[in-house]
Parts: sequence; C-alpha cells; structure tokens
Amino acid sequence: MVGEEHVPMIPSAPSKAWSAEVNGQFREVLAPSNAILLDVLRDKAGCLGVKRGCDMGTCGCCTVMIDGVPRLSCLTMAHEVSGREITTVEGLANGSHLAPIQQCFADHGGSQCGFCTPGFLVASQALLNNNPCPTEKEIACAIEGNLCRCTGYQQIVQSIQAAAAIHRGEADAVVSNNAAHSDPHPSGPEM
Amino acid sequence: MSKDYVQQAGMNKDVRVDGKRVAGKLRFNPPGSGGSRPEMAERDLEFIPELEGGNEPQPAGAHSHDSFRTGTTVGKRTPLVDANAKVTGQAWYGDDIRLPNEIIGRIVRSPYHYAKVKSIDTTKAEELPGVIAVSTGVDAPSKFGVLPVTKDEHAMAVEKVRHVGDLVACVAAIDEETARQAAALIEVEYEVLDAIHDPKKGLLDVDDPIHWRGPYHIGSTNVQKRVFQEFGDRESLEDTTKAFHNGKWKFMGVNHGFTEPHAVVAHWDSNGRLQLYTPQQVPHYAHRALATVLEVPMHQINVIRTFVGGGFGGKSDPFPHEMCAAILARKAGRPVRITFDREEVFWVNRGRHPSHIEVKINANDDAKISGFEIDALIDGGGFASFGHVTSYYNGVLATAPYELGSFHYTGARVWTNKPASGAMRGHGAVNTRCAIEVGLDDIAEKLQVDPIDLRLANLLPPHSKTITGFRITSNGMRQALERVREGSNWDEKFRKLPIGKGIGIGCGFFISGSGLPIHWDPHNFPHATVHLQIDMDGGVTVHTGAADIGQGSSTAVAQVVAEVLALPLEMVHVRSHESDTSPVDLGSYSSRVTFMNANAAIGAALEIREKLLNAAGDILDLPSDKLVLNDRRIYFKKDPTIGVSYLDALHKSQEDIGALIASGAYRTPPMGGVHKGAAAGLAPAYSFSAYVAEVEVDVDTGLIKCTDVWAAHDCGKALNPLAVEGQIIGSCHMGLGQVLSEQMVYGRTGHLQNPNFLEYKIPSVHEMPNVTPIIIESCDPEGPFGAKEAGEGPLLPILPAVVNAVYDAIGVRVNDLPLTPDKVWAAISKKMNREKIDDARDLPAPRLDFSELQKKLIKRSAEHKLRDSRRQRREDEGPYLNGVLFGLDPTLPPEEQDETWKISVKPDSSQLDNLGLAGTAWTKKEQRHMEGEK
Amino acid sequence: MLMPPFELHQPKSVSEACAIAKQLMLEGDEFDWIAGGTDLIPNYKWHINSKPHVISLAAIDGLSEITMTEIGCMARLHDIAESEDVHPIVSEAASKVASSLIRRNATLGGNLCLDTRCFWFNQTEEWRSSIDWCHKCDCGTGADCRVIPNQNELCVATYQGDIAPTLMVLDARVHLIGPDGTRVMPLVEFYKLDGMTRNVLQPGEFMLKITLPDDVADWIGAYRKLRVRDSWDFPEAGAAAAWKKGDRSTLRVATTALESIPRRHDAEVSESNGDVKAICDAVYKSTKPVNNTSLPPRYRRNMIKVLIKRACEE
Repeated sequence: MVGEEHVPMIPSAPSKAWSAEVNGQFREVLAPSNAILLDVLRDKAGCLGVKRGCDMGTCGCCTVMIDGVPRLSCLTMAHEVSGREITTVEGLANGSHLAPIQQCFADHGGSQCGFCTPGFLVASQALLNNNPCPTEKEIACAIEGNLCRCTGYQQIVQSIQAAAAIHRGEADAVVSNNAAHSDPHPSGPEM
Repeated sequence: MSKDYVQQAGMNKDVRVDGKRVAGKLRFNPPGSGGSRPEMAERDLEFIPELEGGNEPQPAGAHSHDSFRTGTTVGKRTPLVDANAKVTGQAWYGDDIRLPNEIIGRIVRSPYHYAKVKSIDTTKAEELPGVIAVSTGVDAPSKFGVLPVTKDEHAMAVEKVRHVGDLVACVAAIDEETARQAAALIEVEYEVLDAIHDPKKGLLDVDDPIHWRGPYHIGSTNVQKRVFQEFGDRESLEDTTKAFHNGKWKFMGVNHGFTEPHAVVAHWDSNGRLQLYTPQQVPHYAHRALATVLEVPMHQINVIRTFVGGGFGGKSDPFPHEMCAAILARKAGRPVRITFDREEVFWVNRGRHPSHIEVKINANDDAKISGFEIDALIDGGGFASFGHVTSYYNGVLATAPYELGSFHYTGARVWTNKPASGAMRGHGAVNTRCAIEVGLDDIAEKLQVDPIDLRLANLLPPHSKTITGFRITSNGMRQALERVREGSNWDEKFRKLPIGKGIGIGCGFFISGSGLPIHWDPHNFPHATVHLQIDMDGGVTVHTGAADIGQGSSTAVAQVVAEVLALPLEMVHVRSHESDTSPVDLGSYSSRVTFMNANAAIGAALEIREKLLNAAGDILDLPSDKLVLNDRRIYFKKDPTIGVSYLDALHKSQEDIGALIASGAYRTPPMGGVHKGAAAGLAPAYSFSAYVAEVEVDVDTGLIKCTDVWAAHDCGKALNPLAVEGQIIGSCHMGLGQVLSEQMVYGRTGHLQNPNFLEYKIPSVHEMPNVTPIIIESCDPEGPFGAKEAGEGPLLPILPAVVNAVYDAIGVRVNDLPLTPDKVWAAISKKMNREKIDDARDLPAPRLDFSELQKKLIKRSAEHKLRDSRRQRREDEGPYLNGVLFGLDPTLPPEEQDETWKISVKPDSSQLDNLGLAGTAWTKKEQRHMEGEK
Repeated sequence: MLMPPFELHQPKSVSEACAIAKQLMLEGDEFDWIAGGTDLIPNYKWHINSKPHVISLAAIDGLSEITMTEIGCMARLHDIAESEDVHPIVSEAASKVASSLIRRNATLGGNLCLDTRCFWFNQTEEWRSSIDWCHKCDCGTGADCRVIPNQNELCVATYQGDIAPTLMVLDARVHLIGPDGTRVMPLVEFYKLDGMTRNVLQPGEFMLKITLPDDVADWIGAYRKLRVRDSWDFPEAGAAAAWKKGDRSTLRVATTALESIPRRHDAEVSESNGDVKAICDAVYKSTKPVNNTSLPPRYRRNMIKVLIKRACEE
C-alpha cells in the first residue's frame, strides 16, 4: 500500500444470531453485524447455488427471493432480512422435480455456462409468480438486472415464455430430449 | 418455491413429472433377465442422411460418417447434458469448492505500473495471528507461459512488476478478513521505472524494456513479436486500381466479461499429490505449467476442472494465482481457496488487444480485390500470453473468404505496462476483420456496386487454397450471403432507408481448431483423445479432457457417441473434469473441441460399434455388415424382428474381457506452406459467416440501437442446432458489446479506469437486437458428421455489419471502436458543420446508384455459384488456388508461374522506408545481429 | 469483497433512530445511515469512507408512504415506479434508475442523498491506493483532487441521481429529522455545491420524506436521461421539465449528473422568456461538467440541450 497513514482494518464486527426460513427450512446461524446476505447464504447456510459475480449489484447472479420479491443478496444487509422467507435457486425445484422454469431453461438453451442461471431463474420465477402472462417487454424488465455473457438473452427470454405457458396451463411440462428411458431391452428377439 | 405455484403432473406419471426422472420409479430389469415386451423407437428417418435412405437433405453431398448415423441425436435440438446441474444450482464452479479445513488466500498486488521490486518484508504479516502461510517470488523462480516460445510469467514478481495489479506476494490465513489484513501488512520496497502506456511508444528504443529476450530482443524496444508477410506483387497490380480504400482504425481493448470471477482451490492430499480445482479452459497447459513452477512431476498433480462460468479465452492461460494457491497450500499443509474480486479479473485480463490497424484495399476494373494490405500494431500489455499467435492472426485470418491479387501484412505486438492482452473469442481475427469488411463496403460504394454482390463475385470456392496456403475444405460463404440477403430483405433496404436508419453487411472467417498444437511434442501426440468404457450395466462412460466451458462440448461428445451406438443420451456419461481420469486434450481454445474431440470420440465409438456388431452377428448368425443399430437394438437390416438387444450383444462381446474399452484420437492432417509463420492460422477446416445488421441512430445524441440481425453461420453440420444458435446469438451479444459500448479505458495516468461491470458496459437485455440465427451446413469432409466450429467465428461479422449499418444510417464512418454516442455525435456534428446543416434530421441519407459494373458482378457471381456448387459436391475435384480469378494456372504454385509473384517474410532494404506503423518494428535489428555496431 | 467492520443498528422507530444517533455522537463515534443500501454497500465494500457504525432505517414502519403529495424516504424505487398514485414524471424517473433488481432495494431517500461519483473515487481500496488516493477519500493523506489537480479545496465528484430533478421541477419540499428536531425546506435548497458535503444534512440528521404541492397533479412534464445502456447505468446527463397544464409560463427545468448537485435553472428559464432553445443555450452556458463519468464532459454538456428540448416537448 502506498499511503503510509492508511490504517488497515480494525477488529471485526460483533456477531449476532441470524435466522431465516431458507428454502422452506429454518436456519439459524451466527453472523457478524455487518454481514451481507450473499455471504451468509454462501458461507454459512450452504447455499452455494447463489453466485457471486460482481458483488456490487451489476450482474444479478446472486438474486434470491425474499418473501417472494427478487432481491440482490450482494446488496442486502443480512440482519435486515432476518426472520424472513428466502428462496434461492436450490429452493425452486420440488424435491427431485424441476420447476417448469428450470426445465425450460435447460430445454431452450437458457443456460450455457450456467453461472448466471441461478439469478435468472429466481428473477424469472418471481416474475411468473405474479404475472403468468408476461409480455416480452415485461420479461426484459424483469431480467434487466441480470447479466448473461453467453446466451445473448434471446434463448433466456424464450425459456421464460415457455415456462409461462406451462404456468398458464397452456402447455404440458416439457419432455426434453434428455428424457429418461427405461432400462435397455435385455431380452432376445421376440417382437 | 412460491406458495402460488402448483406442481404440474407430467404425461406419464411413472416416468417423469416436470421433466426430471423420479428416482426409483424407472422401470428396471436386471441386465440379462429377459423382458417380455422389448420396445424400440422407430428409426428417425428425418435425421438419417438421404444418401443413406433417410430424409435429411444433403445439398453438399455425402460424408464419410454418413453410414454411422443412426438418427439418434445428431442434428436434433439437444439440451446440454449438464443443464440440470446448472438449473438446480448444483453445478460446482471454482469458488464452490469448499474443502474441510480450508484457508483463504489473498494476493498482494503492485500499486505501480512498472517498478523494480527491491525488497519484500513479510515479517509483520507472518506475525499476525491467523496467518498460516506467506509466499513471495523467491519461492517460485521458474517462468511459465501458455506458449513454450514465450514463457515470461512468474507466479509472483521475481524482479519487476509490470502493471498495476501484477502479483507481488500472497498470503493464506484462517479467514478472508485476516488474509486481507495480512496482505496489507506486507511491506514492499519499489524502485519506480518509466512506464509505457501508448503502444506506439512501444516501438521505440528505451532504457529498460518490459522484458528482455537476450540475443533475440528487437533493438531495445518493447516489441514482443513482429511479422512481415508479402504474397504476390501488390505494386504491379496497383496500376489497374479502380477503387482504393485506406482505413485507419483504433480499437479499444475489451475484456471477456465472463460472469464467474477466477477462483482456485489447491490441496496437497495425504499422499502428497496436488489436487488443484480451477475453472480452466486449458487444464492441460495449466497442468504443465504447475509442474514446472512447483517442480513436481506432472503425474503428482491432478488438475480438476470445475464447471467454468464462462471462458471466451479468458481462462485459457495457466495463471499465476493457480501457482500461488498451490504454493500456499504446500506451505500451509491445508487446502487454500483464492477467489478474485471483479477488479482482479480485469487485472488478469487476457482480453482482446487494443489495436491500431490500417487497411488498404485496391479493387481493379473488374471489381476484383487486387491489393490487400494490413498493418496492425497490437498492445500486448505486460506479458506475452497468446500474443505470438495473435500477431499472426491479425493478418493471416484476413486472407479468406475472398480471392486476393496480393496480400501484404505487417504486424507488431508490443509490451506495455497494462494487464496482459491475450486470446478472446475470435482470437486476433476480429479487429482486422472489422476493418476489411468496412473497407469492402467503402470499395463497393466507390465502385457503385452492391456490397453483397461485390463479395459474391470475389469468393474463394470450396476445396481451394488461400493466398497464404491455407487449405479451405467446405465453404458455405456463398449460401450464408444469399440467405442473409434474402432474410433481411436487403435489396429493398440498402441505401434506401431514411436518415437515422441503416442496414449493413459483414462477413467472417475463422479457424476450426488450430492445425498445430501449442506444444510440439515428440512422436506426434494427438490433439485430442477420447476413451470409452462400457461395463455390463450398459452405460457408456466417456473419458475426455475436453473442457466444457458452457459451449456444450460434453454434450457434443456424448451426442456423437450416442449417435454411433444408437443409445439414448442419458446412457452416455461424460467424465471430463479430472486430469487423473481424462486422456489429454489440449483444451477449449481456437474453436477446436467439437472438431477434434468429436472426431476422436467417433473413432472410439466405432471400435465399440464393431465389437457389438460382431457379437450380434455371432448370436444371430448373420454377417455384421447386414446389421443396423437403432435405439438399443441391433437387428437385420431387412427384417427388424431378427435382432438382439444392445445388452445381449454387449454381454456377448464382454464374455472374455469384461468391460469394453476403446480409445480414439484425432490429429490434424499434414498441410500448409513452408514459409516462416506458415503454421499460424492453419486449421483442418474453416467456418464462414455473413451477418446483416439493422440499426437506428438517434442523430441528436449519437446513440445507436441495433434492432435486428440476420446471422448466417456455416458450421458444417449442426450436431446440436440449439447449441449452435446459442453460440450465434451469444456471439452477436459479445460482438455488439465491442462495437457499441465495451472498452477498457486507461485514463490519463494509465490506470484502468473501469474495472467493474458498472463502467465496463456489457449490453443488457434491452440492447440486444432480435437475432435470426441461420445455420448453413456445408458438410465438412473431415469434420465429425460434417461439423465445424460455431463458437468464435459467429462473433466476427457483427462488428462490421453494425459499423456499415451506421454508415447507411447517417452517412458518416467512425473508425474508432466502440462507437460510443459521443464519437458518433462528434462525427455527425462535424458533417453538419461541413455541410452547413442545423438540424441533424435534415442530413441527407446515403444513396447509391449502381454503375455498369453491378451487372458484371451479378453475372460473375452466377458463374461462380455454379463452380462452387460443383466443387462442394466434389463433381469438380481439380485443384484451385487463390489467383485463378486473376488468371493463374491452378495446377502450379503462383511463384513458379509469375516472376513478380513473390513470397517474402522479411522486408528487403528498399521496403524499410515505406512501412506502416507496426511495420516500423522491422527497422530495428535483433540484438544478435547488432554486434559490432555498439 | 469483504465489508469493513461496523456495527449495524436497527431502530424500530424514528425516535429510537434519533436516540441512537445522538448517543453515538455523544460518544464521538462516526456513523452512516443506510436505507436501501444500493449506494452505501458497494462503497463500503470498496472501503470508501466507511464508519464504525451504521444505522438502518429498514425496520422503521411508516417511512414508505407513497401518495401524490408525499413520498416517504424508505419508499422503494420499484414501488414508486409501479405506483399509479405518484406523479408520472417521478415514477418515470424512478423506472429509469439502474436495474429492476436494484430498484427493489433502492429507496427515494437514498437516491436523493446519493453519494457523488467519480471514476477516481468509486474504486476498490487497492485501486485507490495505486493512485495515492484522492481528495474525496484521502485516508488521511491529504491527497489532491485527481480530476482537477492542484486544488484540494473542492471535490468535483458528480451527483448522478435521477429523481431529484423531477422533484425539483415539481417544487418538492424535503423533511429532515435529527436529534434537534425537524426541518423542512425546498429540495432546491437541500443540495450544497461540494462533492464531499453534498447537502445540508447535519450530523445525526436524516431525510424523513418529501412533500409536493397540493396542485402537483395539474403539472405535466417529462424526464429525459442520457445513458449508454438501458439498464444499470447512472445518468450521464439528465433533464426534467414541468409546467402547469395549459400554462407554459410556469415552465421549470432542472438537470442532473452534470455537477456535484442537481440544479433547477430558474434564472435561465426566466431570462429566456420560455423559449426552449434559449433555455437550452443558457443552461449549456452555465453548466460545466468535468471528466469523471464514463462519457466525455464536452459531449454531456452538449447533450443537455437535446435532453432539455426533449423534456420540454408538449
């Protein structure tokens, strides 16, 4: 460091209990007073699906739902949202069943490298929860805070539109080419 | 999950609900138990080539892999095989590796552009409670670099720091807070040196060049690499010049902007082997560099490639921080995790070179491109990285798709005190391509012809050779141009739109895999190797070192294996993460993976296929060439009821040996010329693309909005159209960023002014045009099922297409990228002043009346179209080399036909006074030739 | 990035907040207020002027009211943008702030009290150390201004809030509260031309709400913002105009992102007798942006003419 007078950090902030309903499960951890939600989710609650891309609100990779509202966890003080309901990408699926939005991102090329995907999924699920018939403009506004460097957004918008159709009941849950097959035929030539 | 959302049941409750298999609910019969109702999907004739009896059209003719098509997955829109991991948050990226007992590493970086490191005092840091290990450059004196010819990097500064952010030392501590505090306590004494920021100054002799290359150092300049190439005789063709273009360009540097910052975890396991987790595009080169720097044998290192959160060339060097993590972990005896802040990512950089490029194009009376001259000065930053190659690519990748009368290239890459430039999507080709495609637009304007027709009448045909000797095989350039012209309704719009609206064309040409590997190992090691293993359960495990960085290489490899063996994709499991279990693959760079890896995989799969067919033939008592594979069955071609299940055949062939194992490898065919640098740009195949972009320019503010793009890309054969389209649209996005808003700004003091995503302006969803991807399938004879690359080439045309469209909209050319609104506005204002116009909306929109030449071009391109289609289908197999258009005999090398036609890789003394900016690097002598002059 | 250490206080009422502030002041502890955090948290992550205590307003009820004549300081920009009750110019400006995700956190109070910005300043600690700091955050070194060197008296960092100009042209009044009670003043008097102090807030004071005149619904106008991307970007220049429906003589014009404060141009408007082109030229003359945002100052200065003209279009 150049400036001699510059004093490095002073001792850490006091910790206090932080609790929340994370993906339907009550979690209680000790977090410093100055903790950022992103750090608590990744480092203490084990939600490694929440990604850190820029750490200052310009990439959207860390988006989570807080009481159903999409929020940037990198710009949220953890203790301000203590006691709330938090949904991360890990909480979108129902057990081993993918949510339509997840399946559509997989099937329509909405995810390439996949790093921004958790943020996009949460932001678009939050949109679909309130608006099952979003226009292209509304979709764009919902994901304008999410940065994707791979897809050029087009296939993401298509994925969200496809998921919206499932939410409206206009389309069946997609059966992708990756559909599971039963065991390979073990038997002989009886046909 | 929100309260409102109700989980929807799927069609078949037994099998799947909402698209994911339900564990335990799959019907499962123990192998060999015998089932009563074997099922088989019908052969999907839509995906069987027509020459094999299917319905898939083959306009480009037959392919040697046609008979291995089973209609299973090739050509179908296939979700990535790892998509489910990504959409559930289970994909593990660099920073997601959390090993027990881990500690956190932090890098100490230089605050100076250029300085000697006189001393480093780590005492205070070491005394800080919680600090476990501290390391400095003395711990790792060995140099490394991605290219063996230019190893110039250290894990940490050994003697000098070369840019702000260069690594000086590193610490590991129990938590991030302590590590940061310790980093601040490391005292470094520097002696500040004169820094260079302007690449033009890099051409001059200085006291203290950024690197010193001994006898090979060029003068005492900062020139890292210089290139001179002259093919044909430009001067003699100059007499016939009808139109001349001279474009001087400035390109700002751009960064990959991948969303995942670099992160690495190093762990020396209980056996003393290094386990290194890193998001790498080139795990193998990292593996080599680690062995060198850490001084341990390669077999004592296991490089584990995590999921890669975007690469684009930015994760394709062995990195100093990977060494640091390993060194710290070795000292500490505990796993060390280092994760970068976004700013540190910009300090690593390896982005596209800031460049000064000058392009001169001569066109003759027949609108043939007689002269083609490029001068490129590229700013390499502090290290070589891929720069040796980039220096060539800036010239040689401009030698197609057009037939040229002559080609002259001078290039120089200089060191400056900035973070290193390196390889980025479209490596080395992007900036020059933009300059020449805009140049051609200008030539068309001057000749008063349509720029698309100008291009169509000057294309190299399929199965030809470029002026520098690159072997072109398949070539879908013509179809690409025709399709975008039609799709965009070009003829109704070009030079006909009102002021502020414009349309433009641009083309692209890119390598599909580098012809030579980076390391010239003995014994002709293959570029790619794939191992297959099938045990009695029937699942196919594919071992490949190919680094899936999101482009879908694992999917492509799984697809070709599934296709050959006629197995559903979920029976194919790709294992590609660990160097311990993966055969060597050179990595994900130069658009090589699909071409090389899939070819290797096909080779391995064919071996297995043969064993299965033989086994089935034994059971059925039929010759194996009478059998076909389809959906987990092998049966008699003429009577599907006579057949065996895949498992029966598998078990039969496993009787003596257990698991079936096969290996396939790919190496490039011998090709290319013999001149110095002939290998740069050589590739087993090349991709071609043509884009039309439509823009709206706010003439009051200079803000550009790209509204529509028609993007045609020749990828040979789309193994997975979903992924190809994703690559095309994604390339548009990235290229659009470079042409409109992205730039690495080095301010007055040489500091990178915008190392964050707020000020480094990557387009948001609102800036994205409506892209219509158009896939051209020229069926490459050597590509896997005809495929070529689709990852990088599609980026090239978007830049010139937009720049040309902006000209069509406002009648002004801006040769300074990105076209930020201030530059566009300044150009408009200048024109308004010149033409005495008060309101920008009164500016005249550019118009063009075609000359007589236009008809000539249309006639010529119609003839060439016939020629091309015959050559593509191999109805005409005669040789074709660049120059035939200018009257050369295709059967003889040009230099043997024409005395004035020369190949030269070094300027002669008469040329030294008349060189472009980068060319002046040739006025200096190498140190070894300077003896006696001192 | 790691937050600097500080203690977060979460008062449940305005009076409790004031009490905490008073207590900290008595003890000589420095502190910041945090509303949405979208401005403060990035700055803190970069260790810019961080304080050992931060008082959060998030837990206080009743600060996020949104009506035509009153908006609470904790009203989220997303809610302002979506609300049908807010004056359309204000909601238009709110809808153009940063990105939809940031607007979910960001608040009106935070936007009005936005810290001034400068590319020599909004950087990480390591980066700023490499330029030997700057006047606005000199870390005790007495560093010079990097934008205009050799004068370390004035900070010229730029105020880049979107909403202030729209509230200015609607004649909003701002309500402040602190340990010494409340103050009310026109928003145009709230700002102070210095990139460091920025506004008239006294230690311990924070913004409670803004109020608008009762006839505000009769006013029409527009906000025009210059930015390269339609998401994330701060304004490179911004202009708001408003007038009483049917009465152009009431025209008011305000600009933002050109100087250290947003400014209402009453003098320029009255001199020009309502002629829009004359207003544009007058504002152009009186505004001198400096080179510390992403686009060059000359361009931004010229663009203010276009923006004002477009904002004034009927």
